[in-house]
Amino acid sequence: MSAAISWDPYNADLAKDPYPTYKRLREEMPLYYNEEHDFYAVTRFADIEATLRDRDLFSSRHGDILEFIKAKSVMPDSVFIHQDPPKHTAYRSLMQRIITPKRMHAVEQDIRALCARSLDPLVGGDRLDFIANLGAEMPMRAVSMLLGIPEKDQIAIRQSVDDRLRTEAGKPIDIAAQQQLQQDALSGFDEYIAWREKNPSDDMMTELLQSEFKDPEGVTRRLTRDEISNIVNVVAGAGNETTNRLIGWMGKTLSENPDQRREVAKNFALIPQTVEEVLRFEPPGPFLAREVMRDMELHGRKIPKGAAILLLVAAGNRDESRFVNGDSFNIHREARPHMTFGQGIHVCIGAPLARLEGRVALEEILKRFPDWEVDLDNAVLSSTSTVRGWDSLPAWIGSKPKNVTVSIPKPAAEPAPAPAAAAGPVSLEGTWNVVVKGPTGPQPAVLVLEKSGDTYTGSQSGQGSTTPIADFKLTGNKVYWVNHVTKPMKIKVEFNGELNGNVLSGKAKAGFMGSYPFTATKA
Amino acid sequence: MPKILFIEHSGKEHLIEAEAGKSVMQAAVENMVPGIVGDCGGACSCATCHGYVDPAWQDKVDPRNETEEMMLDGAMNVESNSRLTCQILVKQELDGLVVRLPSSQF
Ligand code: HEM
Ligand code: FES
Repeated sequence: MSAAISWDPYNADLAKDPYPTYKRLREEMPLYYNEEHDFYAVTRFADIEATLRDRDLFSSRHGDILEFIKAKSVMPDSVFIHQDPPKHTAYRSLMQRIITPKRMHAVEQDIRALCARSLDPLVGGDRLDFIANLGAEMPMRAVSMLLGIPEKDQIAIRQSVDDRLRTEAGKPIDIAAQQQLQQDALSGFDEYIAWREKNPSDDMMTELLQSEFKDPEGVTRRLTRDEISNIVNVVAGAGNETTNRLIGWMGKTLSENPDQRREVAKNFALIPQTVEEVLRFEPPGPFLAREVMRDMELHGRKIPKGAAILLLVAAGNRDESRFVNGDSFNIHREARPHMTFGQGIHVCIGAPLARLEGRVALEEILKRFPDWEVDLDNAVLSSTSTVRGWDSLPAWIGSKPKNVTVSIPKPAAEPAPAPAAAAGPVSLEGTWNVVVKGPTGPQPAVLVLEKSGDTYTGSQSGQGSTTPIADFKLTGNKVYWVNHVTKPMKIKVEFNGELNGNVLSGKAKAGFMGSYPFTATKA
Repeated sequence: MPKILFIEHSGKEHLIEAEAGKSVMQAAVENMVPGIVGDCGGACSCATCHGYVDPAWQDKVDPRNETEEMMLDGAMNVESNSRLTCQILVKQELDGLVVRLPSSQF
């Protein structure tokens, strides 16, 4: 037998190419136990499928993320991704009536327009960043549109808030209250719900406000504001970052398979199966976790009640017993369902939207740029226990300078000087795209820093609210700041990070909720 | 065992033997019929097991239930003979059932 296999979702080196390890795990150790982090893992397609289908033995009551299960995390009932039946069933069946395939397909033209708006300015240039130019923006807007926050309405909400500010201006000015109002206006969210309540439309938000459902106690009622807010956070959290990663993986995989890309560029009818193959080959969410509810045995090994088990979707998707030559990318392979959207009662409710976004994005990219080559030297890969994908993925779409070579990407966390460091470290001042790998999935935020003298000040927006940051400190390349988040709940978040090249990464400590990794790149 | 004929949108036919007591979706998935996905495993939560029951068979299969109606209400390319095949139970009387498949499940 060969050397012991070790696999660890936090090992950044392994994240670059985890597939040889997955293959060994599937073949040699179909039930893996990691002592250091105390979790079990399965890698074969059949085992993952069986686990996801047995919701009594494998529970989501503490969530579907390893750290959450270990922390015995508890979330409000309406965070349904984090529940078992009957709580899950109550909210899921309501959401199923609201987030329908029909409604998701209705935003196709808007998604196309968003892609065009992002890509048109790049035509004639040399570079395209799959993340900065498309992935970071479009999926977030697509979810907003699905929820029913079209741009014109965003303006209308702002207007109604502004009007109210004006009518109150005759009274003594309460600056704190004004600032609060302004923040709320920016955050828009509560305001938006209130506004939508008075201005019903045929969108999802109106339906969330008006629909009756049978709650987990069996009472027929409408959703509360808090429940709506939680549900919107779950949907936005589950739908942004994952689809962003899908766009990155389409860019990377099709760059490395130019023959297949050319074939697709000539025949757009191949696009849906191409998206499907990218989803199988590089799943944006490579792992799901569950809690084991009874002592059990698998592959001759005992698993105790209460253990955390990781389902390596990315490994199951390449299981040779299901996918011939699973490690090769082949858009013409026999169509067989993969595991990227999960299986069973928690199966991704947004899969039709994700697939639609993938298809439309690829169509719009290929229309303008039939050829590209990713610049891995300047790309940033990140991997956590929830998502794996590109934080930045620039590509040459025009002439590529001769002195550029393509090599293995550096993971975000690696302290090696990133390429930008050669041109001097990036200045902290300016706008940073921050991603915290938080409770309901990665949470994007925007940090804007200003410098006056030696002091930095600024603000941070995320989850629909903007707040000033506090206590910013820079010591060497170590950075510390505090963000008092107000949505979805009031909580103090402390960021402790290191600046390496053009990437700022470290831990974000969110009060009693625990610490989560974060990465920030300059916008 | 009852036989079921699945006809892909392209016209390609798959005649399979289905076990009574399982759902039509399960029978299709176990026999690798392309075009039936069945992501939610029959929980009536995904609508990726959509099929059109041949009009000659429409009266012989159990009628749509409430959840299925609701799911079909939000699904794509729904016709009067549309069904979520995870909600149809295979039984001896359905020997010869013909199910046509949509061009895509997503
Ligand atoms: C490529 C993009 C996407 C991937 C890979 C993905 C993957 C997944 C997976 C694997 C699950 C199951 C989690 C579990 O079993 O614990 C899930 C659930 C979920 N997804 Fe997605 N997703 C994507 C896009 C979206 C989009 C666009 C939306 C929103 C419109 C969305 C909304 C949700 C929701 C609400 C759940 C929770 C369902 C439940 O617990 O019943 N996802 N997703
Ligand atoms: S298998 Fe999901 S609805 Fe039938």
